[in-house]
Amino acid sequence: MRDDPAVTALVVRASDGDQAAWNELIDRFAPLVWSICTRYRLSREDINDVGQTVWLRLVEQLGHLRQPAALPGWLATTTQRECLRVLRTARRQDSFGFRSENEMSSGQNPATIEQEILTAERNAALRAAFAELPARCKQLLSMLISDPPCSYAEISGALRIPIGSIGPQRARCLDRLRNCPALVDLDGGQMSSMMTKRTAASGAQAKDAEGNLHA
Amino acid sequence: MPDVWDDDDRLLAELGESLRAREAVPPEFIYAAEAAFAWHNIDAELAQLTYDSSLDPDNAVAMRAEAASIRALTFTSTHLTIELEVTQDALLGQITPAQTATAEIQVRIGAAETVPIDEIGCLVIRPIPPSPFRLYCHTADGIDVLTGWITL
Repeated sequence: MRDDPAVTALVVRASDGDQAAWNELIDRFAPLVWSICTRYRLSREDINDVGQTVWLRLVEQLGHLRQPAALPGWLATTTQRECLRVLRTARRQDSFGFRSENEMSSGQNPATIEQEILTAERNAALRAAFAELPARCKQLLSMLISDPPCSYAEISGALRIPIGSIGPQRARCLDRLRNCPALVDLDGGQMSSMMTKRTAASGAQAKDAEGNLHA
Repeated sequence: MPDVWDDDDRLLAELGESLRAREAVPPEFIYAAEAAFAWHNIDAELAQLTYDSSLDPDNAVAMRAEAASIRALTFTSTHLTIELEVTQDALLGQITPAQTATAEIQVRIGAAETVPIDEIGCLVIRPIPPSPFRLYCHTADGIDVLTGWITL
């Protein structure tokens, strides 16, 4: 997934000035930036400021990215650094120091951040694949994953299909999902087996993330 | 594709999580991110942040002990070095090599303001601009340098 051709293509198009490609990058990776910010328990206003700084830095870096595949790692590292800066500033301004050291470091575990990057990459690929499905499949799968879950009777009524064919259609739609290029490109086997190794190395990796973009 | 996705239930559950993670992001966060693209392709030399006192562990200890939160930043480009110091009510700066110039303070929302840089390379920005902001220095000799975004 580190070499996702879709992400690489989007970065190239965005650095050529293509707003649509930029928007698609945002669509893919905004959840990563957002989820890291919420983990630091920042206020909405602070989250917006962190987000803004992160995206503006990315705009600036676009033309210099040599390894677009390292983008999620760079985003995670940059977001984390900005969150910590906001917390530090808040603590300096608050003479009572209501933010504890624990809170300050709540998101810093390198294993957690690495997991977050992997999840974000997988989620982005899943959404991209889902977007390629035919409308009928999207409707059916959306109902199946809704929270609270829809009953088969509700699905049958809404989509006008017999209850007995929901199961087989579910299986067919999930198969189509698996065969979407976005998921086929996702190198899962290697990813799972490398997880332990990568997690162990992620401290150094996070430190180098910014440099890697220019490597 | 991860092997665990061979399982229908697992794949469906993770698909649900991925869609909910995207739905959790408020629309205004997305709009602001999309709008940031307007800053693409600004024609100037980019100065990189080469020193930030808030990232300097020795300095952070000293800062906590003082009432005034002072921060020092240095931006370096091929032709110009910009040193900034944050005081209680102003942002002081100096460019090296010293020369007459102007500094435009670009902010995320709103019009940019311009302050002069005198012949010994000094500038004063008061009050401190809202974060994030960036400085666009234009020297009398025609050197254009843009700092990265600064969050104080």
